Amino acid sequence: MGFLDALLGGKKKLQGVAPDRLFAMTTAYIALETELQITSAGSAGIVFQPLGTGDFQQILTEAEELLKGTAAEQGSTLESADDEFGYRWLVLRDTDFEDLVVSLNALSTELQGGGYGDRLLAAVFAFEENGRRLYFIYNFKRGAFYPFVPAPGDKQRDNEREMRLKAQVASELPIEPELTRWFPLWEIPL
Amino acid sequence: MATQKTSFDRDTGLQVRMLGTMFLLGLLYVAFVGVLFAAGASAVIMVVVVGALTLAQLLFSDKLALASMGAKEVTPEEAPGLHAMIDRLCIQADLPKPKVAVADTDMPNAFALGRSQKKATVCATTGIMRRLSPTELEGVMAHELSHVKHRDVMIMTIVSFFASVASMIMQFAFFFGGDDDEGGAPVLLILAVSFAVYAISFFLMLALSRYREFAADRGAALITGKPSALSAALMKLSGAMESIPSQDLRRAEEMNAFFIVPTSVKGALQSLFATHPPMEKRIERLNALELQLQGSSTASLAA
Repeated sequence: MGFLDALLGGKKKLQGVAPDRLFAMTTAYIALETELQITSAGSAGIVFQPLGTGDFQQILTEAEELLKGTAAEQGSTLESADDEFGYRWLVLRDTDFEDLVVSLNALSTELQGGGYGDRLLAAVFAFEENGRRLYFIYNFKRGAFYPFVPAPGDKQRDNEREMRLKAQVASELPIEPELTRWFPLWEIPL
Repeated sequence: MATQKTSFDRDTGLQVRMLGTMFLLGLLYVAFVGVLFAAGASAVIMVVVVGALTLAQLLFSDKLALASMGAKEVTPEEAPGLHAMIDRLCIQADLPKPKVAVADTDMPNAFALGRSQKKATVCATTGIMRRLSPTELEGVMAHELSHVKHRDVMIMTIVSFFASVASMIMQFAFFFGGDDDEGGAPVLLILAVSFAVYAISFFLMLALSRYREFAADRGAALITGKPSALSAALMKLSGAMESIPSQDLRRAEEMNAFFIVPTSVKGALQSLFATHPPMEKRIERLNALELQLQGSSTASLAA
């Protein structure tokens, strides 16, 4: 946000979607799987604010239909869920990781095409390491990923593991440089 | 992203008024500085002192304000719901995570503090969290985050700098007594100018503050995509729901005669002195935003 925007009391619109780096996850996954034995949990999703307008619902339905079509071909499934904060999750389940990335990208492209790219909150990829869940969260506005590792206990996160993950995949994945923007997402329905 | 549609248009009128107010303030302050320099060394010292005070205010006022409200910072474990809500709003608003504080008082209120986006604190009272639904609270917190995003604390502090100088001069006018025979401007003139600067800038600053409230409302609507949630919150907070009068019209008419200022004039005076725009105006504008949001959708459906 520039000086002039601050002076004038804000931009006309929200930060749009940053240049797409979602596909970096595909190459990073190879490293995760082969070098770190971190495997895909077979699910990924996007989370966004559903707007109560007619055309938003329409775009969403179209995107879902489109994806359900391709999902059936690939043998993956699509579910949608609303969380307690009023955000909508579209969750994809597929054993093929690359298909997950491609489908998520198709979903976000569809929403952006409809002019609602600024409503996208994040894309989330679920992984497993020795039976333990960890996530990579993609912030659309920043065009960057960050790791999120919930720890046992109520709303605890394993910062140490997250920092290590950052170092381990930094060469493959654009990582959010500011730690103050590593926002947790609790109750991920993946 | 040329294809990206905007949910809301820019409010040009608001920005013109904001710029106009800032221009007038700037003009006033430039003239004031001229007079101060003409007044000689003691006035310049005054400016330096107030400058230091303003800087101190920028650096420490947030801690003072938090302490005076009895607010304390809360960890994600202590207030998981509030933190999670703010986390999501920050992603949406593209802001770093501010500190989150809670004040244990039943008075429904929320505010944002801090001179920069990185040093910001947002605070909610337990009263507001109890009264509002999650969506409404989300609207209010998005409003506060918009203040952070628009750097309102910084802007209002800077803008109030010369008004503080003027008020200092009025309070310590006797310091200028000695300058009279050294060829400086007469004390009375400086006092008069200071008074004028203080009075005029006071109203301009209030106007600016009201404009920035509108801008923050708009920002909140942008972040949440739900202008109606914030207007519902404002209605609840202003007590509009309970304020449907219970008093007989004929009795109210009788009472009106005893008011020194007729209610309409009183309203106008009140609005001149207010830091916040009247609730109805804010709700009106939020409704207009909701209409825009819904309207843009029907337009594209028809196309």
